Amino acid sequence: MPDNPSPSVESPDEPQTGYCPYTQYEYERDGTADDLPATGESARGLKRSVWEALYEVEDPEMPISVVDLGLIYGVEIEADHVLVEMTLTYTGCPAREMLLSDVQSAVEAVEDVEDCSVRLVWTPEWSLEFITEDGANALESFGVSVP
Amino acid sequence: MRRSDPPDPSVDTDRSASGIRCPYCEGTNTNREHPKGPSLCRSMHFCHDCEEPFEALR
Repeated sequence: MPDNPSPSVESPDEPQTGYCPYTQYEYERDGTADDLPATGESARGLKRSVWEALYEVEDPEMPISVVDLGLIYGVEIEADHVLVEMTLTYTGCPAREMLLSDVQSAVEAVEDVEDCSVRLVWTPEWSLEFITEDGANALESFGVSVP
Repeated sequence: MRRSDPPDPSVDTDRSASGIRCPYCEGTNTNREHPKGPSLCRSMHFCHDCEEPFEALR
């Protein structure tokens, strides 16, 4: 046996059926999530204001912002139109509509923003690692452990 | 559903089942009591150090 056997790939061509059609279950675990979570650290100007608005949007059940939870994958601005790419912790999240509309209205409330559209994406899959340190601390104080 | 299929993430319950740090006393002598919690992204655990139940994100 070689020392470093190449990882086996499990039938990549086999169509996936029977699961949630919105979710891509087969994805690269390594490499795709290097720039996530997006926290807007380097954002300036209008983008900065948009990120600040996003930090104000909290999960409906826990005292953590959608940014600290790692749900925001990116913010793009063209003139006064904003596109937010985000995910949810779970495809079947019952707070889906609430979170999407909260994000949209928070961003549209930012001065100089005409409108905001929110694009829900499932790739890469959200993981616990996307929670920021601030977010993990907030959750632990709240009584929810972050493994 | 064939058993050889990859598990649906919602029933992937093996991950981090014990030893999760208790948010109250920081003890790690804990067990998961149930894979499902009050919301889909949380599970229920019990801390044997402070004898309190707690939730963990999953």
